[in-house]
Amino acid sequence: MPPVSRGFHGRRRPDVDPARVPPGQYVTPDFPVLSAGPTPHTELDSWSLQIDGAVDEALRWSWEEFLALPAEPVMVDIHCVTKWSKLDTAWTGVSLDTLLDGVETEADHVTAWSDGGYTTNLALEDLIGGRAWVVHEYGGAPLEPEHGGPARLLVPHLYFWKSAKWLRGLTLTSADEPGFWEAAGYHNHGDPWREQRYWND
Amino acid sequence: MSDLHLDGNGVAWLLDLITGAEATTTLRTCQACGDRRALGDHRAYRGAGVVLRCPSCQAIAVCIGIQQDHLTVRWHGTLRVELLPEDIPGG
Amino acid sequence: MREVLRESTTARTLALDVPDWPGQRAGQHLDLRLTADDGYQAQRSYSIASAPELEWLEITVEVVEDGEVSPYLADEVRPGDRFEVRGPIGGHFTWSADEGGPLLLVAGGSGLAPLMAMLRHRAARGSDAAVHVLISARSPADALYGAEIARLSPAAGLDVTWTWTRAAPEGWAGPRGRVDAAMLETTGFDDRAAARCFVCGPTPFVEHVLDLLVAGGYTPSQIHAERFGPTGT
Repeated sequence: MPPVSRGFHGRRRPDVDPARVPPGQYVTPDFPVLSAGPTPHTELDSWSLQIDGAVDEALRWSWEEFLALPAEPVMVDIHCVTKWSKLDTAWTGVSLDTLLDGVETEADHVTAWSDGGYTTNLALEDLIGGRAWVVHEYGGAPLEPEHGGPARLLVPHLYFWKSAKWLRGLTLTSADEPGFWEAAGYHNHGDPWREQRYWND
Repeated sequence: MSDLHLDGNGVAWLLDLITGAEATTTLRTCQACGDRRALGDHRAYRGAGVVLRCPSCQAIAVCIGIQQDHLTVRWHGTLRVELLPEDIPGG
Repeated sequence: MREVLRESTTARTLALDVPDWPGQRAGQHLDLRLTADDGYQAQRSYSIASAPELEWLEITVEVVEDGEVSPYLADEVRPGDRFEVRGPIGGHFTWSADEGGPLLLVAGGSGLAPLMAMLRHRAARGSDAAVHVLISARSPADALYGAEIARLSPAAGLDVTWTWTRAAPEGWAGPRGRVDAAMLETTGFDDRAAARCFVCGPTPFVEHVLDLLVAGGYTPSQIHAERFGPTGT
């Protein structure tokens, strides 16, 4: 045990229900900005969101078309593999159930890909059943670029690196293809409640 | 809104661990643009792990996964590692 | 921990004794790690502001309101307290008097700390290397090392210029506002190719100054930058 720094407590953590805090996490009131690269800035009139890959027919929405989809308010807790958790984050977005409605596929896996080249992989079943959204608002205001705006993926039941910022597409695949951080030793699935941070967890 | 990146100097402790010696002065030739710059000058981004990018073209130089008891490292580009006279093979 | 000194309204300098410290070059930093009694740890990097010639180390901590570490270091620590220290770290952002000048040092806020180590080292070695310093600070109340810099400034070859972004001293006739091309032109060197530049401060400041330096005729390989940002890795 390293020497204790007398009187150091860390940030006074708000009183929270421990049942909301996954193992090894601490709650923060801040919203740290983490990224693998510079913030992309895509003009809305050249932005599109697509669903492609192992599907009968690829889908594509322009920004206007995306905003016209039924959106809902979402309030969730988020958990970052770097050990911070933020509770009661408020977003607005379109459920993946809505986006995938009518999509015919045999594939079980999805690669989410973003402006700037970031990718992350998920099981299709992690995106459906009311557990994932493509969100374009945070805290009631348009999603800021540093937090992934204009739109990002939100999959709160997995570590937050799976919630790809600057989302531009979801490619359905038959084979599971590790994404950016998964290929750098992070867990393929990433369930914070089973503390699946790293590859051999 | 500015990016919140640092630079190779800011993650020097990580780079030093990987190379086993002072790393910020090591020169890297970029695989994408061919520019040669010190690792200390590379921009450093903190995500789940740390990513260093070429200061000239932003191509990824090093991707470092930070796990519990080890690092997972992917290098790109070519490094120039200076030898001290006593280390030169064959003398 | 030897001593805590008030450096400005928002900054404190901590003097540290580190047993078996191997010595450092001017510009290097150290990592400080704090451990709470429940095992929780926080780690931060601090530039070493003292000259390598000094027998102990000094770091300057800018207090961030509601910060996790800086208020603790500024207000809670007492002489005799112990921390874990790793270092010295960094070889690229360093200068030794043996290397000579000319040097252009550009500091934004707390970015002055590693450059101050270079100035203190220069003085300790009695160097007359040409060093021009441009310091951007919010106001005199926020300025670091003001009195000491004023004492050092008359030294041969050393030229210091302050610019104030929020409030200048009473009767100030010098530069004001953000660092701009004109300030770098005035404080820079006519022989661009001969100069080395060291730029330190928050990332947006550094990126702004780098753009200006390159536009002003300095090549990227002559420029060393150290960016300060929120929380350590």
